[in-house]
Amino acid sequence: MIADLVERLRAIVFRGRRRSELDEELRFHLERDVEARVRRGIPEDQARREAALSLGGLDQVKELVDDASGVRSLTDLTADLRFGARALRRNPGLTATIVVVLGLAIGAATAVFAVVNGVLLSQLPYPHADRLVRILNESSPQNRWGLSIADYLGIREQQRVFDAVGLLRRSSMALTTPGGEPEQVQAGRVTPGFLAALGVRPSAGRLLAGEDERPGAAPVVVLAHDVAVARFGSAAAAVSQAVTLDGISYTVVGVLPPGVHDLAGFEAGVWPAMQVSTPPRRGPFGLVGIARMREGVTPEMAQRNLTAISARIFPLWQSSFSNGSARFIALGLRESMVGGTARPLRLLAAAVLLVLLVAIANIATLALVRISAREHELATRARLGASRLRLVRLVVTENLLAVLLAGLAGVALAAAALRLASAFLPGLPRVGEVSLDGRAVAFAALATLAAALLVSVAPAGAVIRGRLLDSRADGRRMSAGRRANAVRSALVAAEFMLALPLLATAALLGRSFLNLQHVRLGFDPSHAFTIPVSLPEARYADSTNGVLPTTAEFWQRAVQRAREAPGVVAAAVTTSLPPNNGGDVNNFNLLDHPVPPGSEEPVAPWSGVSTDYFAALGIPLLDGRLFSASDTANGPPVAIVSRAWAARHFPGRSVLGQQFISGGCTTCPPTVIVGVVGDVKYLGLAGSGEGMYAPIAQEPARGAQLVIRTAGPPASAMGPVIATLRSVDPGLPLAGRTMDDRLRSELSSPGRWTILLGAFAAVALGLAALGIFGLMSYLVRRQRREIGVRMALGAEPGAVARMIVRRGMRCVAPGLAGGVLLMLVAARWTESLLYGVAPRDPPTIAAVTAVLLASAAAACLLPGARAARIRPAEAIASE
Amino acid sequence: MSDAAADLLPGTLELLVLKALSLTPMHGWGIAQRIDQLSGEVFRVQQGSLYPALQRMLRRGWVRSEWRVTEHNRRARYYLITPAGRRRLEAETVNWERTSAAVNGILRVRLVDL
Repeated sequence: MIADLVERLRAIVFRGRRRSELDEELRFHLERDVEARVRRGIPEDQARREAALSLGGLDQVKELVDDASGVRSLTDLTADLRFGARALRRNPGLTATIVVVLGLAIGAATAVFAVVNGVLLSQLPYPHADRLVRILNESSPQNRWGLSIADYLGIREQQRVFDAVGLLRRSSMALTTPGGEPEQVQAGRVTPGFLAALGVRPSAGRLLAGEDERPGAAPVVVLAHDVAVARFGSAAAAVSQAVTLDGISYTVVGVLPPGVHDLAGFEAGVWPAMQVSTPPRRGPFGLVGIARMREGVTPEMAQRNLTAISARIFPLWQSSFSNGSARFIALGLRESMVGGTARPLRLLAAAVLLVLLVAIANIATLALVRISAREHELATRARLGASRLRLVRLVVTENLLAVLLAGLAGVALAAAALRLASAFLPGLPRVGEVSLDGRAVAFAALATLAAALLVSVAPAGAVIRGRLLDSRADGRRMSAGRRANAVRSALVAAEFMLALPLLATAALLGRSFLNLQHVRLGFDPSHAFTIPVSLPEARYADSTNGVLPTTAEFWQRAVQRAREAPGVVAAAVTTSLPPNNGGDVNNFNLLDHPVPPGSEEPVAPWSGVSTDYFAALGIPLLDGRLFSASDTANGPPVAIVSRAWAARHFPGRSVLGQQFISGGCTTCPPTVIVGVVGDVKYLGLAGSGEGMYAPIAQEPARGAQLVIRTAGPPASAMGPVIATLRSVDPGLPLAGRTMDDRLRSELSSPGRWTILLGAFAAVALGLAALGIFGLMSYLVRRQRREIGVRMALGAEPGAVARMIVRRGMRCVAPGLAGGVLLMLVAARWTESLLYGVAPRDPPTIAAVTAVLLASAAAACLLPGARAARIRPAEAIASE
Repeated sequence: MSDAAADLLPGTLELLVLKALSLTPMHGWGIAQRIDQLSGEVFRVQQGSLYPALQRMLRRGWVRSEWRVTEHNRRARYYLITPAGRRRLEAETVNWERTSAAVNGILRVRLVDL
């Protein structure tokens, strides 16, 4: 076995030497033979002739030895490759078609695979990332919310399943370094357990330690690598330096590794230690809980432990929060990060796979048509002694070369596309991690291989079945084999079958996108801009303490001063902004019809607003009154609700004067509803219009948005307003953004998905049309004579053209029927991505089917016209 | 003369070549001569069969080859039997004897024996 291999390898590697050795060996043999004959008395001339004769042809012997040495199959392969390359060059149109069509499809599929792999499939960049979980409160799968300090402390003390538990509160803080300008940066205030759970290592200094989270500990911060470099020159230089965050001095204890811009998907430049002390009440919630499961702990075990802890600690806080169905849950960190993007991404993956299949079917049809065109040549080769296997190899090698080129083009294309991906899909979590890695290249190789196989199978089958080779000697006039025709038609039908759901889904997404654009916003975005403000704890108190001004006082002054700036019509402050900045979602219990004790309370988006908020956004008052200056922190708690809220909870009745318990606070006085305003969406444009408002004076808030309505263009009023606000507090970093801009970015993500899918659908439509065009053109060419005979017998040119189109339709129709079925089945995956249109919307499916039929008919027209132009005499004579 | 030459059974040529080489290393011409001579000129080995056969046996590791100088000071490729070749020769010899004995037995049968 080994000797065999060695000898074969030697035969290949030393081919030249082996040849000359064989020559020498045979020459030696010949001379000895001649000598022997001469010794027997034969004259030398005759001896030489006899010897040559007995050798039986020098070249033939060499061939036989070649066969025996096992190099034959390899020399054939190189011949095949050379022949294939020649054939590709001879037929640049076909080669270009294969490379472009398959290259595009493989490239797109590879790029999408890389994105899907990077975002959905690959592990997070933390050690043993499969053991990381996110901990949340849940009362139902639709209602989940973050942890509170009280939750964190309870879990940390009682859990038996985690190596580490940590907490994160995201905010934006003003960062000042000695000699630098204040800059608003994203901040992630974390407990030491947060960094420990993720298993991050510092590139300089240390991360946070247990004592850093104790109340009263010296404030410390960990910096992102790029922040450290920008501010101090290097990571090492930043350690032990002091930075100021929101007016408080922090010591830098460590720096994260370079390239780490986010932790668990939360971007931040500074990571100050969070100090936790036992809170007076259960809330507020909204903090991010992360934990690392111990080795050997399953998610089920972790969940059981969390459920037990919920049962123990929830009753302790009943006075400030009661929700009988609530409990802690642990979600895989990756799932919790990817969340809502999984669906559109999966849809994209399915779409690109369909395009790839359509492209393969297209090329397979082309290859089949081509092989039929070569019947004559192949038959001749067969008669000249080429074995059937050799012919199959010849045909396959040729396709293989083209598909291989397409694969290479695809990888290059995917690399280019991925460079654009993070710019095109900015909302995608983890998109920064996406790259054309080994797995993506392996996928491209696999796709190429599969394409090569699928494209080769039909032509190879045609050769093996021998239909081509058994053709009559002249190799012409043979009507296209029934079976080959069936395969070709099926391939084209398959293209239409796959294209239909793609096109229909793109159309549905497009309609849904249009619907989103025409959603009744409920407010007037023109002439309005917003400024996010976050008030530092060092300078503002939550409630009056005699030392610092309160946050409520700041908001009041800021609104007053902004109102005085030139060009300002109204100024207000709010904790939520439409269409997607939901702020809080609050639970409430209506005194009129309370939920039974222990069951889940209703919830709604909850905003703290100043008196002019509704005027600033143009939200109409429908009933009752708006907030006034008399709704102060000490006054009775009041609320305004939206029309949708009123219609849901008090259908057909007036809500004015109705009372509810807010946020599960059983010790607080009930809140009275004093007004009803128009519906505004806070949870995305596709969300409901339900909403509740409280006076910001009664809802202390550190982070909020100033909303300014202007007389002229909002951008020109931004500068003066910001300048005015600086006079209230010069230490706040302030930047404005118009409401129109906000709306545009809310629409950009669905818009991009629609564009991507639309592009794929357009490609599939084009390929399918090309497929039926190619098939019918081929049939017309094949049946020139038959058509000629028909015309000679009196068929009108128009009738001939119609016949061709009809035949094309007959081929496409079953594909479309299959496509409609496929669409009906696939609809359930698209449902959650649509707004205002059903996933099986009949008019859309009908319209898409009509479009496909029409494009198929259009694609058949040209071959039909060609058939109609056939001159009977010429066509019959030509054969 | 070639009319009288017997056809070799498939596989027999290799057995004969191995036998010839088991006596002494030889070049191709020598092998052909030796088989002609040993068979009493019954077998005429054709070069068209001999060299491919040698190539096959090289691949199977039964023989190896090296270039040597002949007694007449000519360069020639000599073939040598390997240990694997000797084992093969033994096995094939036993096999051959059993087969030929059986064939001979059949051929000697007369009607009266039945």
